[in-house]
Amino acid sequence: MRTTSLPPIAALISLVALAACSSKGGDPARQYGPTPYLPEPHDYLVPPMSVPEAVGWKPGEAPLASAGLKVEALATGLEHPRTLYTLPNGDILVVESNSPGTEAFRPKDFIAGKIKARAGAAAKGGNRITLLRDAEGDGKPALRTVFIDHLHSPYGIVLVGDTLYVANTDAILTFHYMPGMTQITSPGGKLTDLPGGPIDHHWTKSMTASADGSKLYVGVGSNSNITENGMAVEEGRAAIYEVDRLTGAKRIFASGTRNPTGVAFEPQTGQLFAVVNERDEIGPDLVPDYLTSIHEGGFYGWPYSYWGSHVDVRVHPQRPDLVAQAIKPDYGLSSHVAPLSLLFSEGQHLSPAFANGAFISEHGSWDRSPLNGYQVIFVPFVNGQPVGNPLPVVTGFLGKQDETVHGRPVGLALDRNGALLVADDVGNVVWRVSATQTGT
Amino acid sequence: MLAKKQSSNVVSPRDLKGEEFPRSSGRSAAPVLLHRGFIGAGGVLLIVAFGTDYTYYTTALWQWANFSAWLITSGLIVMLVGAILLPIDFATRRAGRLNTSSFILVIAAALLSLVNAFVHSRDAWTSVVPQGILLSAVSGILLLVAGALGGWSLAKSRDGDRS
Repeated sequence: MRTTSLPPIAALISLVALAACSSKGGDPARQYGPTPYLPEPHDYLVPPMSVPEAVGWKPGEAPLASAGLKVEALATGLEHPRTLYTLPNGDILVVESNSPGTEAFRPKDFIAGKIKARAGAAAKGGNRITLLRDAEGDGKPALRTVFIDHLHSPYGIVLVGDTLYVANTDAILTFHYMPGMTQITSPGGKLTDLPGGPIDHHWTKSMTASADGSKLYVGVGSNSNITENGMAVEEGRAAIYEVDRLTGAKRIFASGTRNPTGVAFEPQTGQLFAVVNERDEIGPDLVPDYLTSIHEGGFYGWPYSYWGSHVDVRVHPQRPDLVAQAIKPDYGLSSHVAPLSLLFSEGQHLSPAFANGAFISEHGSWDRSPLNGYQVIFVPFVNGQPVGNPLPVVTGFLGKQDETVHGRPVGLALDRNGALLVADDVGNVVWRVSATQTGT
Repeated sequence: MLAKKQSSNVVSPRDLKGEEFPRSSGRSAAPVLLHRGFIGAGGVLLIVAFGTDYTYYTTALWQWANFSAWLITSGLIVMLVGAILLPIDFATRRAGRLNTSSFILVIAAALLSLVNAFVHSRDAWTSVVPQGILLSAVSGILLLVAGALGGWSLAKSRDGDRS
């Protein structure tokens, strides 16, 4: 069983050495694109962290938009809004949700829970979907109703034909939808189960539909950071599923994606892409979260390796056969930004700079100092592939000296006028980002 | 030095005064050291953590690593109670002289275990192998040596001091 030949004395010396080593992250720009800088992994006694205190927004405060754009609140006072979806008639759905709650297995889990609560991650989700109708398109919805209530940690949502699919944390539900509806009271049918509890560490189930509407694609996160809850609970997790929308038959389309929190099809090529949250606690600049095309049968490394064949020694027993197959992701977003939503742009409504590419919301993480993420970025695409450095779109979610956080961006959608909508699950706001000069 | 009073059918009030209460052996009762039981109980938990670490090392079953994390954390908390009670034992004149060898060994084991609690807060294999199980082994050996040399009492009781 022994896999390491580290002599005991060397182990103790390294223990002393690691207490002294620096744990500050470097310039995130080194980790943008297809070949990110990857430092050596570290073991820590206490992993590098910084946790800003959640303070919300005072009246009149708002995030900052890049030049030529303005930000206004479309809706406030929501219960942990996560995912946004625009219906064909322009109605906007806001999925209000949070983790179903996980049990503490170790002394560490109690402490980690307290730390994350400080950053506003423990707030109760609404377990419902709210409908906003902005008939005039002026960013001031005249109608706001509870569209679907009593859900179970919902996240993904997509309309195909007259069926609305909602991905709870443990199942895909179906609801009959007719244009103009403002409320659905039927309990909904179940299309298929999804991996939920026990544990349900990464609980979100991101979802999109293929262009022809025949298949649904669902991102299922891992049940741990790095298999610390055992391999048995990882069965069928850290994967992207393909689900037949009529029969509910499902299969794993791609695997090794630790936490695929956003899935979407690139409109020019029809290629499936995902944003994936990578592993924690081996350094402030490891491992870069990424945006990548998802190929059928592809294995993207988790848990055995990262960024291709970089082995993670925390996993035992190791699997060199799978490491050899691991696909390198297309595009690094830098480490611990926590990308949570992927939205391809559809033309030049906001700015010519955002005509072709993907908006990505970066929720921000605890496992890095200085903080990284806490913004909405745009990754330009050329010929269906991400190219160049990301551009900031919405920033200013953090307070002074990064000690407080007003809001954290999550779900993204375009409204029917092409304005960018951003869900903020700490500020409990939906922000509307539009161009200043054209009045979209 | 205590006046040896043979017990009789009559118990005088003087007989009921603490230290002077005679036991059947005729020896006076040693004052109970408050810290001793907590150091011993915490020490046992820390020693057992080596066993669960070893089982994780040989099986890679995650729950054994969790057992170790709980054993080390709870062992340290119980020992901390003992560490708080030790000066009380001195202040209340229960304790006499410091039991130097046990004191050094137990303190060293506790400090190593404190580091080990953080090592065990890592995720998966490297929470135990190699540093965690090494620290468990060393602190377990130190505690066993302390136990063999003079027990897990960090001080001698006043009575024991005299005898």
